[in-house]
Amino acid sequence: MIKRSFFGLVKPKLQYEIIDEAQAEPVSIKASKQIMLYIDQSLENTGNALLKTGDPVKAGQKIAMTDSVDYLLSSKSGQISKISTFVGIMGKKFTSVTIDVDSESSQTVDESFKNVCQTPSLENARDFLAGLPGQPDFNGFFDMDKPVKAIVVLGVDDDLLSTTNQYFVKNNIIAIKTGVDLLCKITGISNAILIVPQHLEQVAGSSGAIVKTVDSEYPSAHPELIMQHILASEDGKSKSKSGIAFFSAEAVCAIGAAYNTGKLPLEKIVTFVSKNGNKQLVSVPIGTPIQDILNKFNETLNDGDRVILGGPMKGISAFSAEYPVLPDTDAIIIQDKNQITERSDTACINCGECVRVCPANIQVNQLIRFLEAGQYEEAADQNDLFSCIECGFCSYVCESRIPVFQHIKLAKHTLESMKAAEESNA
Amino acid sequence: MHNTLKLTVSHAPFWHNGSSISSKSRNILLASLLAVIPGCLQYGPAAVGVVTLAIASAVIWELLINFISRRPISVGDGNAALIGMMFAMMLPATTPWWAVVTGTFFAVVIGKEIFGGIGANPFNPAVLAMTIVMLSWGDLFDFNAALLNYSFDFNAVYPLVLSKSFGALPAESFVLTDLLLGKQIGGIGATFGIGLIAGGVYLMLRGYIRWEISISFLAGIFASALFFNILNPELYAGPGFHLLTGYTLIGAFFLATEDSSSPVNFIPMLIYGLLGGALTVMIRNIGTHIDGVLYAILIINLVNPIVDKIRPKALGKGV
Repeated sequence: MIKRSFFGLVKPKLQYEIIDEAQAEPVSIKASKQIMLYIDQSLENTGNALLKTGDPVKAGQKIAMTDSVDYLLSSKSGQISKISTFVGIMGKKFTSVTIDVDSESSQTVDESFKNVCQTPSLENARDFLAGLPGQPDFNGFFDMDKPVKAIVVLGVDDDLLSTTNQYFVKNNIIAIKTGVDLLCKITGISNAILIVPQHLEQVAGSSGAIVKTVDSEYPSAHPELIMQHILASEDGKSKSKSGIAFFSAEAVCAIGAAYNTGKLPLEKIVTFVSKNGNKQLVSVPIGTPIQDILNKFNETLNDGDRVILGGPMKGISAFSAEYPVLPDTDAIIIQDKNQITERSDTACINCGECVRVCPANIQVNQLIRFLEAGQYEEAADQNDLFSCIECGFCSYVCESRIPVFQHIKLAKHTLESMKAAEESNA
Repeated sequence: MHNTLKLTVSHAPFWHNGSSISSKSRNILLASLLAVIPGCLQYGPAAVGVVTLAIASAVIWELLINFISRRPISVGDGNAALIGMMFAMMLPATTPWWAVVTGTFFAVVIGKEIFGGIGANPFNPAVLAMTIVMLSWGDLFDFNAALLNYSFDFNAVYPLVLSKSFGALPAESFVLTDLLLGKQIGGIGATFGIGLIAGGVYLMLRGYIRWEISISFLAGIFASALFFNILNPELYAGPGFHLLTGYTLIGAFFLATEDSSSPVNFIPMLIYGLLGGALTVMIRNIGTHIDGVLYAILIINLVNPIVDKIRPKALGKGV
């Protein structure tokens, strides 16, 4: 954990991780018995369930509850042993599908993608590739109101400690080039921009895309800030999220590989950070429980420890080590009980640290007063609640140790669900 | 799935820089000792008594309020002790016990707790209490009268009284280095200039107080004192005199910088400080009160919410 520096005259700086030679090669880990997939759909809304307990699945098969666009790809073949509801952050409901994995020798592969891979198109990308590692999102291309003008490939990790995307830029720039070319071909967009950290600028040059760098201080690699500071100068005033499709470097590599080989790559690269701070890249099938990774590194969990999926600033903490690696899990961090700083309910003392670090120039000291009082609409109207890019820096520096970021997320969630309720009643 | 392992589950971020209110209070208390210890050496056991009584009574007042209002006990954050210390620093060493205890009551209860506790006070609690007791029992806080029974090897006249009553000429009898070394009478922790500056610089470097406020406060005093001095050098003392006498240094480093009653944005902090400095000199030179620092700080505390509206546009807002 990076502590406050002795000198506090200037605002604190958090540096992104830089990939080094030692951790360059990922360790391969196999799913031991089960894989688990969380589909972004509530079990209650799936009347005509496509899958039932006991169904056999093949590797690469789409796992979806209805005929909608939300699906995941099973990384292994096996048999569905359990379908249940998983409640995630802010009460969001997922359908959890547990698959008992067949032995390595009897793995079977789903062939339906192979049949279409000769004719790459946006439609089959959306239908088959959204479950790839890095979770590429093709839905933006189908929104006719806001045509996509540029494809941005993120060769940076937008949270601390993670080196997952840097790995692909450093070691796999050819695959990124293949993927970018394919994406440009199927979308008809020629404007592709690759965002990399400064130390990888040289390597990235051979990708054929326009290369832009971001500096090494958190949160400059945040997509929202990349749009503000790097892309805004590209085409004048259009500072809105529409018109830009973001892909992670990992997703681009996977898309390229999928169309070239006809096989869906379903191994996720994850930066694993152990309790003592050792970092190691691991390659695991999507859906592998975290426990399997812990076993590999002989890491034991005790009561009060914390398992974090994603980075230390924006990740989520898991209830159990059975939680699986999902397509967007870039890092897994294990924190020992004594590394955890407790939050408090002390009031804001108006020290102003949060205001000085906020990349979105929000008056967090004012905002938090409204949020603590539950006055979310005032917070949104007068105190720029929706300008927040959710970097978590305010909570990191808070002297009163207020969970500012949690208050912000709760407020946004509450307002959005109120709005959704109003719309459905109208 | 149903294992007995209980992990800690909480919201992001999972890191914290380790800062806390108690470490901030602790550091400010330590820095204030640089000025308080020389003060105690100068005034003897009486001063030690005032300081310890002020801190103890402030903590007890806060504890009482915690019990009465049935809120969690908050004395652990050190803020009450800090308020007691700030209050004691401004007092003459001969202050009677009841005035100290009443003063800390005004500071902790009236100045802070009735507004909702830490972070909710519109005024600096210690400054508010000090002005209340000064207006109520003026005689006790007339430094010339209060410290009459001490004998010093320097001119034991409160410098600001001299400049107020007799103009700039007698004020020039004070050598600036003597003033810096605390060879003047005044509050227990308000006269030893080097200690206050060293403490202030330490706190600014560590980020516990904002340099913008302290520096602009001093700059405001310097500029406005210089202005008056040029206007009428016989009547108004020079900037050096104003910077090193009265409550100027304690005001700049310890009082005006109090978090809750000061702004957080860059330009507002500068305006806040400059305004405080200018008001101080104006009250000293053309007002009726002897020292203007306390009133100036109360006034800038009042304008703090308004000046803090000057701020950059949030991301995605405006042009």
